[in-house]
Amino acid sequence: MILFARHLKLGAVAMIALSIGARGAPAPQHIDIKQLSKKVEDVVVPLPNEVFGALNKLGPVNWREYVRSDKGGNFTERPRIALVLGTVIADGFIAVQAEDAPAVKDIGQRVLALAKGIGVGNSITPHAKAIIEAADKRRWDNVRQELDRTQNSVQNAMNEVHDEKLSQLVSLGGWLRGTEVLTAVVSKRFSTEGAELLHQPDLLAYFQKRLQAMPEYNMPLIQDIQGALVEVRPLIDVGDTRISAESVKRINQITTRLDEAIVTKAR
Amino acid sequence: MEALNKSFKLFRRTLIVALLSASATVGASVDDAQSFALQSAEPYVKEGFQVREDYWGGDLGVGEKKAVRQQLFKGNEYWFWLGTEVERSKISVHIYDAEGKLAEQPDSWEKGHFAAAHIIPKTTGSYFVIVEIEQSPEERTHWALVYGFR
Repeated sequence: MILFARHLKLGAVAMIALSIGARGAPAPQHIDIKQLSKKVEDVVVPLPNEVFGALNKLGPVNWREYVRSDKGGNFTERPRIALVLGTVIADGFIAVQAEDAPAVKDIGQRVLALAKGIGVGNSITPHAKAIIEAADKRRWDNVRQELDRTQNSVQNAMNEVHDEKLSQLVSLGGWLRGTEVLTAVVSKRFSTEGAELLHQPDLLAYFQKRLQAMPEYNMPLIQDIQGALVEVRPLIDVGDTRISAESVKRINQITTRLDEAIVTKAR
Repeated sequence: MEALNKSFKLFRRTLIVALLSASATVGASVDDAQSFALQSAEPYVKEGFQVREDYWGGDLGVGEKKAVRQQLFKGNEYWFWLGTEVERSKISVHIYDAEGKLAEQPDSWEKGHFAAAHIIPKTTGSYFVIVEIEQSPEERTHWALVYGFR
């Protein structure tokens, strides 16, 4: 078995070797982006921990301050459950940043309960177990990986039954919670580098487009989110100008209000 | 025991990739292409890159390009890995900023049916990842693009 493992390591080395002296024809230094407009694939929504990782590099963050592991309400409307699921997965990434094992384990259970509520519990059970086991062993990279897998499995399960719109609401819930925490951290100790992490106009446009294509979810919460995104867009779509401290605070107020509406209020 | 499990998992993955190679043209799919993209990513995981579960994929003819718009954050480092199951193909992946300027690092690479592009974004915002099938014996060639960050 040791010999076999060595053989596999050689495989990995061979793959690294691929990258040495493996340049093809030089790529053009400049391309016309407008010509690509009909061939552009949809954006993959970044995980909350992509932005949290960048935030960590700007200075220490007291992540424990932002950990939330309360059970929250029980909801029956599927769009709301999808949004809550997104926020809870984002909470999982925050708890990992804080290395708070009990919170991570609670979140694992909560994710499972929500996934069952939306009819995709079966695909989530193994991930929820893996999250709890990895948190017990304090293997934070494994928890991050399982949270990503959880979100991916939930969304794949939804897509399989043609619930793509719910799948998009999971991403939106995660983005809103991630943005709430990002703006809270940056507001507390403002820096232009921290504020720059909010420069996500295409992502915002993506969510707006998706929400506009959900007329069947005619509920006040969804309408509230749509209105809020319209308000947020000019604050982050600033071109080469810097995002101001006032804008960061305003986005924090908006996303905090939306997050509360998603996880607590029966609307 | 854990080492044994790891070895078994690696063996299983290697076996899957080997089987996919053997049946590259029979019933191939984007999932197969994804296995090859992930194979390219494997050594980088050991360097601390977290590979996303989500991925893009499809099929393209020779000379066709596809652009993927992606939000990147300054402070992070990203690799994008492209793969296809068509072994005799030649594929490429490159990263441009929102103005269309080449933004990748010089250690980006391409080798047959594997390619990878590396970027340390200078600004937070949208970037375009361009994938291309440069040569292939197939009329349409499946591709899959995965990415990782640290």
